[in-house]
Amino acid sequence: MAGNLLELKDVSKAFGAHKVLDRISFGLSAGEIVGLLGPNGSGKSTALNVISGFLPSDGGEIRLEGDNITNVSAQRITGHGLVRTFQLPSMPHRMTVREVLQAGASGNASLASMLKPFRFDDELDELLESFRLTHVADLPASALSGGQKKLLSVATALRSKPKLLCLDEPTAGVHPNLRADMVTILKRYRDKGVAILVVEHDMLFIRELCSRCVVLDRGEIIADCAPRELEDNARVVEAYLGKAVEKGKVAL
Amino acid sequence: MFDFFIHVASIACLYGVLALSLNLQAGFTGLVNFGLIALFGCGTYGAALASGMGWHPLLGLPAGIAMAALLGLFYARLGRKLSSDYWGIATLSIAEIIRISITNEQALTGGAQGISGLPLLFAGLKPYDGMARLALYVVVLALVWLFCQRLVKSAFGLSMKLMREEPQLARSLGYDLDRIRRVVMLVSSAIAAFAGFLYAHYLTFVGPDQLVSPETFLIWSMVIIGGVANNRGVIAGAFLMQFAMAYVPFIKDALELPTDFVAAARLIIVGGGLLAFLLWRPKGLFPEKVGGSNGR
Repeated sequence: MAGNLLELKDVSKAFGAHKVLDRISFGLSAGEIVGLLGPNGSGKSTALNVISGFLPSDGGEIRLEGDNITNVSAQRITGHGLVRTFQLPSMPHRMTVREVLQAGASGNASLASMLKPFRFDDELDELLESFRLTHVADLPASALSGGQKKLLSVATALRSKPKLLCLDEPTAGVHPNLRADMVTILKRYRDKGVAILVVEHDMLFIRELCSRCVVLDRGEIIADCAPRELEDNARVVEAYLGKAVEKGKVAL
Repeated sequence: MFDFFIHVASIACLYGVLALSLNLQAGFTGLVNFGLIALFGCGTYGAALASGMGWHPLLGLPAGIAMAALLGLFYARLGRKLSSDYWGIATLSIAEIIRISITNEQALTGGAQGISGLPLLFAGLKPYDGMARLALYVVVLALVWLFCQRLVKSAFGLSMKLMREEPQLARSLGYDLDRIRRVVMLVSSAIAAFAGFLYAHYLTFVGPDQLVSPETFLIWSMVIIGGVANNRGVIAGAFLMQFAMAYVPFIKDALELPTDFVAAARLIIVGGGLLAFLLWRPKGLFPEKVGGSNGR
């Protein structure tokens, strides 16, 4: 099990009799980008919810920088440096894009500092520019397209200066050009030491971005390898396509 | 007629302060409080208790604010377990329990008879005392407005709005929603109690009939008609509603309508006004300005 930033050990989650996560264990190091993959219903989003405190686990242990964060509230986990985005980001009607992005900076701030006047700084403008949101910065955030909302949610999470960023399908609905930009931006943050755990179906994005992939199927980890090794993994191929396929005839 | 105008404007100022308090809760933070009048009552009974105990009248202000802070924190605590709709019902219930308890308690609150004989502010300045009081209320209203504006335009104001609209996003960014709820309830409760303290020393009488739930809905109508989450709007709503209701008797006299008309017309102004605005202009006369934070 790699990683000393995030470590999961035997983490389980069930909804009634249905086991969604069955004693999964994996880890992440600082500055590492890991893809969390699997077919629909394999438990990826549940794993993200459990790690980020949005769902309680039924068993096992989750540690972030050595601190036990198992079943700690989402807000407290964010205080440890773990920030996440959602599969279907919903944005406020009565806050501008700029304000939402600014709100990303104060989540763990003290009350005294939050009451002081603030200024939209250069870093905010850079994020808007990087994610091509400058021209919509003063529109209500809810007025953005689905893809732009995804971009805003990733930008807002980055604005909170995370140590570990968990992204739930960040490229769904995003234009291919912007997807390439997102790879560049996320790699830039990786180089600054930010670890990224990304749930994604877009294999091209995963190949360009991730150094490692953890593949889930029916709540179990069936592979933990480099992206290029996925198509040679019979269990992964079977999980995605439903049957064993002759080697060399699949492109995941 | 001029004295009557001064009187209506004075009450409108105090309602304006109360509307600003509700606007912090419901307008900016999404805390649908139907028990606002109990927080106001903490201020009125703080003043009455200080008077009844023979304390200096000004001591009624910290007493009222302290009681309102405790009640506000209790409301906030309930919000940890209850969703928005149920929280609103709970606050209405608590306000009614408090009013009924006061009505049936004699030793401290005077029961249904209330407590009278509170000192009137600036009574020694006759015949200009009414104007002096109005000047004080205008200054208080302006200061509370400035404070509320500063609060909602700060980074904390952004967190209030984020909690109102996207609590899940707020949690994912590390915002402690319980803390936001506590702070907003503490601050707005103190403001409501301040309005109550001034109101008690204006009427020189405090009684449980001032704490009936329609009073809360009157303040709600001021906020909705003026403009939810617009501090200038809710003050305009307070003045509009107060003047509209105060001048109903004059309309009755001019049109030679029966006396029953006054009560019915006031009900129609509040209920009908609320309904009309909710249906046709839900953002109120002065809608919230999107992007109005202090950042630039």
